[in-house]
Amino acid sequence: MSFSDIVERIKGVRGVTEVVTSRSALFITATADALKPLAMEIYQIMGGFFRTCIGSDERSINNCFAIYYIFGLDDRGLNIVVKVYADSKKPELPSISDIVPASDWCEMEARDLFGIEFTGRASYRLILPHGWPNGVHPLRKDYSYDSRPVTRAVSERLTLVDTISTVPIGPYHPALHEPEYFELYIEGERVIDVKYRGFHVHRGIEKLGESKLTYQQVNFIAERICGICGFEHSTCYAQVVESAAGIEVPERAKFIRSIVLEIERIHSHLLWVGVVAHLLGYDAGFMHTWRIREHVMTLAELLTGSRKMYGLNLIGGVRRDIDLSKKEKILEVLDTISKEYIELASLMVSIPQVRMRLKGSGVLYKEDARKLSVVGPVARASGLRRDVRKDLPYAAYRYASFNVPVYDDGDNFSRLMVRLDEIKESISIVKQLLDQMPPGPIKVEEFIVPEGVVAISAVEAPRGEDVHFIITGHGRPFRWRVRAPTYQNIPALKHMLKDQPLADAPLTIASIDPCFSCTDRVLVIDSSGSKRTLKLGWGLG
Amino acid sequence: MKKNPLSLLTIASSKGRVTKRYPFEEPLMTSEFRGKIEIDESKCIGCGACVNACPPNALELLSSSGTKTLRYFIGRCIYCWRCIDVCPVGAIKGTREFELATDDVSDLYELLIHEEAKCSVCNSPYATVRIVRYVATRSPSTEGYVSMDPKCRQEKFVKAIEMRFGGLSA
Repeated sequence: MSFSDIVERIKGVRGVTEVVTSRSALFITATADALKPLAMEIYQIMGGFFRTCIGSDERSINNCFAIYYIFGLDDRGLNIVVKVYADSKKPELPSISDIVPASDWCEMEARDLFGIEFTGRASYRLILPHGWPNGVHPLRKDYSYDSRPVTRAVSERLTLVDTISTVPIGPYHPALHEPEYFELYIEGERVIDVKYRGFHVHRGIEKLGESKLTYQQVNFIAERICGICGFEHSTCYAQVVESAAGIEVPERAKFIRSIVLEIERIHSHLLWVGVVAHLLGYDAGFMHTWRIREHVMTLAELLTGSRKMYGLNLIGGVRRDIDLSKKEKILEVLDTISKEYIELASLMVSIPQVRMRLKGSGVLYKEDARKLSVVGPVARASGLRRDVRKDLPYAAYRYASFNVPVYDDGDNFSRLMVRLDEIKESISIVKQLLDQMPPGPIKVEEFIVPEGVVAISAVEAPRGEDVHFIITGHGRPFRWRVRAPTYQNIPALKHMLKDQPLADAPLTIASIDPCFSCTDRVLVIDSSGSKRTLKLGWGLG
Repeated sequence: MKKNPLSLLTIASSKGRVTKRYPFEEPLMTSEFRGKIEIDESKCIGCGACVNACPPNALELLSSSGTKTLRYFIGRCIYCWRCIDVCPVGAIKGTREFELATDDVSDLYELLIHEEAKCSVCNSPYATVRIVRYVATRSPSTEGYVSMDPKCRQEKFVKAIEMRFGGLSA
């Protein structure tokens, strides 16, 4: 299907009122009736993936609420944004979650934060805590960022079923690194269903960016969305503003961003491999992986000034240059780690106990992966070739040649192998980019961000594609939305955990490399009634 | 190398101990590390550029009668050094200091008190004495205006235009 065919097909859907094309995106405005046919067309017929949907309170501009649905035709590097208006008095839209299951969470997020109702589906409370008062929607513009409504404490317990064994994990539990709540339903040794509720650490970062901070300040707060892949968030944010304002970032800055992004991927994957070793009871492997990782952390500090939270990005470029002595240090560290990690990784995957635990556990089939539009190593381990670095190249990735490792089994072992292979690729990318780095300035200082421009940017974080969406405003974003990779991957856990031994559950949960604080900028429950005779409902919403 | 779980012992023995005996040894830290900031009292003019740039509100400019206080709260600082980037007089300097834990929260506050200048006409405070001095030396032609607050300055300017051109045509 050619580009003009796509535009024609979309224009042919009844209710599409406007189609605007730009370099990497199609912006469509449509009526509510056109939503389902459009979702069918883009998601089912054209084979697009679903990135996310974004609620927006535009009553001050056009007296309406609006929702932006972002689809991605990955194989042609095209984003399709569908905008639909909802009435300001009684905002209500048809749900597309029956056609696009991946839209479940973001619809509920818009319901919680903007009060937009979705018809034709079961609604439940996702983001806001259960004790939050009804009818208070914090992302509406008439709600001040520093308001604190009176909430009451409500139990996290989702269901009370006596006939089946329930294993609650969390929200605060010694084995969990972050607050999150899983309820596993067990029959014998097998998990038959699972429910998840998260968003306990929702920090209102988007609200803060829309009401308190300035464009440049948001960079540093965006970096704090995630403790492990913060630089991806700050890069993604910087890129989205740069694309909205049409800022030409100097080439050298793009190279530095790519190099640091890959260094962050190496440290993140090594961290994850260590955690998996630890969960397998192979603590020696954990210690040694982290010993190797320490070289990368020190390197990151040398390049950016901090081991984590690099503070390197500004809109318009980066703050620190890579000089010759730093370049030599990078090459030295890369040599050390590539030797040591290959030795350790090949040893680890050869251990029979490690293989037995990982092979065949936590399987996510390709159809389910596609249905939920999962991202990153989880998608690539289930046979989906998705990688933003290839599909929608940003920063300096077009100058590097690299493979996207894909495995087809969809089990925990595949997810391990994808990440191990990616470390190799990342090392090679950094080396290639260092060789080609052009001279020149590293940032532009003078620029104007026009108001009312919509832009999207995606960055491949270690956990998968990270999406930032912006509508520019006066001195700060009018609407800023972050879709962290884990947000897209958690719903897949339900499929991965089903019919698995309970003992493998912690491992499988860890296998998506979940980052709950990323996801929890804003809140979550996952469940559809199990096929068994359980009546689990939809939480307490 | 032959793949055998025990091969890890070979790796371990060849690496030896990698942890540091901190605090009895230098911590693992590079020359580029960003730590706490230091504000040079003699240079700071209290303009608030750092306050506007500071992402986590670690720097605040508090007004009280006759003084303006620049307050640095280390507890909020994210060590991004944006204040250093934007300071017009180079009064802020970065250090590599990071051992900042304390059992007394007041240790985490640093205050820099500026005297406030009063408008020569209406006597209301409008900026720090140092900013006035800074502007006057950088741009001597503003001499007649710099000692007034924005409102009086505006009035004087309008009057001056009227005197010269016979009024402002709106």
